[in-house]
Amino acid sequence: MTVSDFRRSASEFWREFRKVKSGVFGLIFLAIFICILIFEPVIVPYPEANEKWRDITYWQDLPSSAPPSWINLFTSKKRAVSDSIDEYSFSEILAGTMRIQEYIFEYDYSASVAPSDVVFHASGVGKPTVVISIQRPDGLSIDLYRKQLEMSPTQDARVSIDRSAQTAAMNFGKKYSPSEGVQLQTIKTTDVLFSEAKQGIFRSPSPLTGTYKLKVTLLLQKADEEIKDAFVTVAGRVHGILGTDNSKRDIWSGVIAGVKWAMLIGLLTALVSVSIGVVYGVISAYVGGWKDSLMQRIFEIFISVPMLPVLIVMSAVFKPNIWVMIGIMCIFYWVGPVKTVRSMGLQIKEETYIEASRALGASNTRIIFKHMVPLLIPYAFASMALNVPGAIVVEATISLLGLGDATIVTWGQILQAANSGGAMLSGMWWWVVPPGMAIAFMGMTFAFVGFAMDKILNPKLKTR
Amino acid sequence: MYWKYAIKRVLYGLLMYAILIFIFSALFNTVMEQTLRAQIEEQIRGETMRMTSLNESQLENYVINRRSDLYSLYRLNKPVAERIMWRTWDTLTLNLGNSTIIRSSKGSRSVWDVVSEAIPKTLLLFSVAMLVDIFLGLLLGLKKAQKAGGVLDKSTSVGTMVVFGMPSWWLGMIMIMFFAYGVKIFPSGGLHSTPPPEGISYFFDLLYHLALPVLTLVVIGFWGRAFLTRNIVLGVLQDDYIMAARARGIPERKVLYGHTMRTSAPPIVTMSLLALLASVGGNIVYEGIFSWPGMGNLYWIALQQNDVPVLMGNLAITTGLYICGLVILDLIYGLLDPRIKVGGR
Repeated sequence: MTVSDFRRSASEFWREFRKVKSGVFGLIFLAIFICILIFEPVIVPYPEANEKWRDITYWQDLPSSAPPSWINLFTSKKRAVSDSIDEYSFSEILAGTMRIQEYIFEYDYSASVAPSDVVFHASGVGKPTVVISIQRPDGLSIDLYRKQLEMSPTQDARVSIDRSAQTAAMNFGKKYSPSEGVQLQTIKTTDVLFSEAKQGIFRSPSPLTGTYKLKVTLLLQKADEEIKDAFVTVAGRVHGILGTDNSKRDIWSGVIAGVKWAMLIGLLTALVSVSIGVVYGVISAYVGGWKDSLMQRIFEIFISVPMLPVLIVMSAVFKPNIWVMIGIMCIFYWVGPVKTVRSMGLQIKEETYIEASRALGASNTRIIFKHMVPLLIPYAFASMALNVPGAIVVEATISLLGLGDATIVTWGQILQAANSGGAMLSGMWWWVVPPGMAIAFMGMTFAFVGFAMDKILNPKLKTR
Repeated sequence: MYWKYAIKRVLYGLLMYAILIFIFSALFNTVMEQTLRAQIEEQIRGETMRMTSLNESQLENYVINRRSDLYSLYRLNKPVAERIMWRTWDTLTLNLGNSTIIRSSKGSRSVWDVVSEAIPKTLLLFSVAMLVDIFLGLLLGLKKAQKAGGVLDKSTSVGTMVVFGMPSWWLGMIMIMFFAYGVKIFPSGGLHSTPPPEGISYFFDLLYHLALPVLTLVVIGFWGRAFLTRNIVLGVLQDDYIMAARARGIPERKVLYGHTMRTSAPPIVTMSLLALLASVGGNIVYEGIFSWPGMGNLYWIALQQNDVPVLMGNLAITTGLYICGLVILDLIYGLLDPRIKVGGR
């Protein structure tokens, strides 16, 4: 088989393939996945999701268990969306040796459900005293927070209003709704701050929309103390494209970061295992005799193994990383094509041109790799495409049991967190549906391609 | 002739099982022995706690003696190769040792008791699912093959590909979320209500709990079965004798259910069984999602409790059942396909 031969048969194959509509769709989906892979840093709001998936501090400014933002389109009660406020008006007053810096952040609140948290951030050095108060649209002002902060180049200041101003919120609410008996622990600070000051502010708050001014005053005592990069993040009640999980992680970023791992696991496992299987089958068919019998016995040992249970136990005992896991999967997956390839090989072996090349003195290796294996390449590709989804599901299953590689993020691991985090019970569909959809969609893509190839290779399956 | 074939196949299956158990014993030897040593130490500590009358050196002597006794009892003082052989033999004779934490419902700590309790429940779930699955798949597959290339065929073929890479446990999660917690028409899991009802209502309660997991498995599975049936039947439909039957004016119904089914049944049945056998291995996680107290759920529990003996025992039994399934499949195939009986293969 020369290069031009190969090109001709490839173009012939493509002409056939084009006729199968599902196969073309499969290729389009595959192209979409590859685009996602390439443009991952652009389309994802948290590009470090893969490395920092288990880093709590990386995700701490996001809301917890928030549904996707687009559900606002379907509900009458709009929920506050996550936001970041970088603009502020700044003023500085000198009072003796002390400097008083004042930052005013403006937040337009127009939703019906208050944000889950408002967080002030700043970096710098020193130990300034910080005073935070909020000016509401109805003219009322509440002092929220007063404390000395410790800041250094390695430690930034971070003040969560929701966490630290609970008492202030309770006192404020009590003033306008004195008859309501509430526990401090049950108060949601932001719900009180963003509601009309009237009877029932705790139990049945009505939202007060308008522009809120968050005033942050910093008292700097020493000359070398310095504040920079001040900003405020608003953690909404809805977040991003796919919401967040109960550890405040952005699910969209996680799902997109999972694409590359799924592709890697699926394609690498399929490529290696099918290649081994095809070569094994051909050799077994070609050598014949007792060697063939022995190879078939070894093959039978492998097909008698229930793959997933063994994989689970091996993962539990040896705790492999993703590469070792792919290796283990290949050990079980290579048997897939052997039987078919062997029977095809037995046919090819009897062809006269094999005999001719043997008569010309070609070595066995040459006959196998030059004359037999190339004929099986189309079958090998179909078989690879159909093996990809299986490998992805197996990895996801192992991850679901909590045995996945903890240094990466895969779809199975997101589902594992969802399962153990009670996502089903609390109806957090945005946590359960997308990763599984991604697995199913990826599987579908390769199934489309694989079945289309299968259809071309088995003329009997053609519809009348 | 068939008996000769059958006996040969069974013996071959047993040999395969022995080989696999030997491989597992060698592979997991270290971790099994660590657990065993820890169990022995725990036992000795328990015994010495009760001995208040002994002084320090006597106690020390006792511990050393007891330890060497137990080590020789469990053959831990033998060379590695011999230990692996003994472990293989123990596993083959179902002598699976004791669990570290998990107990059977009767309170026994024997791994065999724990695992054997779970087997019927797994078989129940998957055999019910299998029957429904094959029935629906066969029906749909025949319809698809009858009008190959038609609307029904094309749309259901897309369905096959949509569920091709879908994990059954994920669909289970979705089903639970919507039908158990959302709409609340099915229970979220378990074998029966607590406390279990008596008499005939126990049976209905079981069916009620069985409904959602079976439904999920069927929704995932029957597309593939239909696709397979379609492909096999389509091949048969192109044979000459079908054309001859049609030419003779035999009604299409009879051609399809009589002539075509007779030849295409053996491969369909065996391939469906094979696929379902593979899915029993593949669906072990599935039981955990539905808290179905079968062998799959046992893996889940054993992993969470880090109970190594149960994990290994469960693996050995799963492998045994899997090989059993393969052997039975071959026997059925031999029964259905006369060529094998004659020894043609």
